[in-house]
Amino acid sequence: MSKSTRASGQKAKRTVLDRKRSRFGILCALPTAILFIIFMVIPTVNVFRMSFFKWSGFSDDQTFVGFDNFKILATDMNFVHAFQNTVLLLVVVTSITMPIAIIFAAILTQDKIIGSGFLRFVMYVPSILSAVVIAAIFSAIYDQNDGLLNGTLGFLGLGALKRVWLGDQKIVIYSIAFAMVWQSFGYYMVMYMSSMAGVDKSLYEASQIDGAGKVRQLFSITIPMIWQNIRTTLTFFIISSVNLSFVLVTAMTNGGPDGASQTLLGYMYEQAYTNSTYGYGMAIGVIIFLFSFLLSLLVSQVTKRDIIQQL
Amino acid sequence: MNKVSMAKVAISAVAACAMVVPLAACGSSSAGGDADGKVTLKFAAFEGGYGAQMYKDVVAAYEKLNPDVKIELTTSKKIADEITPGMKAGNYPDIVELGQGTESGLTETMLKDKALEDVTDVLDMTVPGESKTVKDKLVDGIIGLYTNPYGDDQTYLMPMYYSPSGLVYNKTLLEQNGWEVPTTWDEFFKLGDEAKAKGISLFTYPTAGYFDAFFNALLADIGGDDFYTDVMTYKKDVWKSKDATEALTLVQKLVTEYLNPDTVGYANSQDFTKNQQSVLDGKSLFMPNGTWIVNEMKDAPRTDGFEWGFAPVPTTTEGGTRYINTTIEGVWIPKKAKHIEEAKKFMAFLYSDTAADIFNKTGAVQPIKGMTDKVDDTMKVFYDAYNQDGVKAVAGSFSTTASVEGKNIKDDLYTAVDSVASGKKSLADWQKALNDTSNALNEASSK
Repeated sequence: MSKSTRASGQKAKRTVLDRKRSRFGILCALPTAILFIIFMVIPTVNVFRMSFFKWSGFSDDQTFVGFDNFKILATDMNFVHAFQNTVLLLVVVTSITMPIAIIFAAILTQDKIIGSGFLRFVMYVPSILSAVVIAAIFSAIYDQNDGLLNGTLGFLGLGALKRVWLGDQKIVIYSIAFAMVWQSFGYYMVMYMSSMAGVDKSLYEASQIDGAGKVRQLFSITIPMIWQNIRTTLTFFIISSVNLSFVLVTAMTNGGPDGASQTLLGYMYEQAYTNSTYGYGMAIGVIIFLFSFLLSLLVSQVTKRDIIQQL
Repeated sequence: MNKVSMAKVAISAVAACAMVVPLAACGSSSAGGDADGKVTLKFAAFEGGYGAQMYKDVVAAYEKLNPDVKIELTTSKKIADEITPGMKAGNYPDIVELGQGTESGLTETMLKDKALEDVTDVLDMTVPGESKTVKDKLVDGIIGLYTNPYGDDQTYLMPMYYSPSGLVYNKTLLEQNGWEVPTTWDEFFKLGDEAKAKGISLFTYPTAGYFDAFFNALLADIGGDDFYTDVMTYKKDVWKSKDATEALTLVQKLVTEYLNPDTVGYANSQDFTKNQQSVLDGKSLFMPNGTWIVNEMKDAPRTDGFEWGFAPVPTTTEGGTRYINTTIEGVWIPKKAKHIEEAKKFMAFLYSDTAADIFNKTGAVQPIKGMTDKVDDTMKVFYDAYNQDGVKAVAGSFSTTASVEGKNIKDDLYTAVDSVASGKKSLADWQKALNDTSNALNEASSK
């Protein structure tokens, strides 16, 4: 056998092996793929399809109405209000949670603080609590008479600041926003801490010699070094906040008083099920899908930076 | 292929099947088990405050009476969520106990879709094991807007349990102060002023949703039965009428001038019991509520000598009829059920003395003649209210024959009370929103 034929024979052998391997790989992935298609792809496609129908949610009586559901949405003030609430929650909660999480993570990783392990634990605990538990905790905190918050304000002689936190239609959404911040910041803090731990210590030492203070280090070293992580978590956070706001609102106020704290997902649920207008609910679902999708895209475009590689 | 890779492929194939097969099994329906001559009835019941045991006992009693019938019982607090997926796949229960007004709205949805079996003939059926017909046993006036939701003579929902809801108060507190239970709105407000002087609020409500009973009684009193039906069936511009304006004005006055100031802050699913507690604490006099309150608040602390009292909503005219809203839970048969005839027989059995006694033991009172004498003492105060002079029952709810995208009459009438109480919504806005929604529903149902 000449050299060349042996080489080509080997090559052919490898391709057979490769093919076998890839076939095995496909077979292994198949169960997950099937489950993914059944439980993710098909329902999502169905949401889009159903938004063009008038349907009670049950019978075989589905009428195609084209874009009618979306036209009604544009004039439905309850929907607009729920949309406003969701956007407000996203903006307020994100702009508070993210900085707090980064600052706390920076303090806990860089400085030697007594009991930092305990602090990390305490701050992380809320994120593993269920929404119902959080609702119960905040119902005790926000209670207008003997709640922790109003009680403390009274004790400090700030009685004038007492509010009906969950009963005042102007305040209720901020009360929920605060509960969301409390619930989620610990989780992101731990995520940032783990990526901050990977930043080379010598960078901090070098900057210290150059006379950089803690704040300067945070903005010039820590944040640029973990920027990729921040980007990812930001997208992640926005999507999960849409869900969390619904769960928390449902458990705490159920959208009340009189729809003042209703969110998009809550309104979708109410329309699709309680009001027996499933198609309309799905139209709201489409808007939520597009909204989260576009927002994530926007966030990821706006936050795009050159990746700083650590040597 | 060598042996090892063959084995790998086989394993992965088996694993793939194992993951997918159970999914397929979910969709297949059991055939009903008719092969051995036995009929298997599927009975789905909502497990409310009365618990699930009474259904098990009733099913056992029926199976004893009819050895040829086997009943597959499903009870759950979320029964609608449990049976809906199966129903969408064509796997229907034969008989369902689930009232209107639940969050899932399944019964309403089925009604809108005209997917319920006409059960008018069950009324003339003889109760299994007895000689009377179902109709003979039912109390008078129970077959009405609730049971015949399309406004004709055809019955689609059989009345299962009924319970009065109206104004709940602390009997002892009223007696101690020498206050009479008000029968007219003038007396009601006068009592409110007297109570205010003593630092007690006249009124509170658990959540705004509890106004359903209150409005039903008030509307029936102000405009009579016909007006009540007009409102519930969305007659055009009914909310602009003089009667409707009067009802809304009264409620506005009640919640802006006589409401316990803490009410709105607690009127949510998390804190509503704190509003109920204010009655137990003697800080509020009346609240709209029903028989379940006794059980719901049984462990709550209360003032010394506290005793539950129950009164109909006051009337607007001296000597007028006072109404007690009557909540009825329904039992129905889906049109696509497999064993409709057998299900109807079982439905008739639910009105037998045997079944009624089982239900009554846990406090579920059926609309059967003579049942109110058998209820236990804590409940008696509620059912006795029907026996007062000039008191009538009103039942039913908003017609569910149509739905309009983004318009929910219950939100516009009941939930809006929160905004009216906090002064955020004016009477005119409230009335306009209601009228718009009502008219939209009117248009949709006449299509």
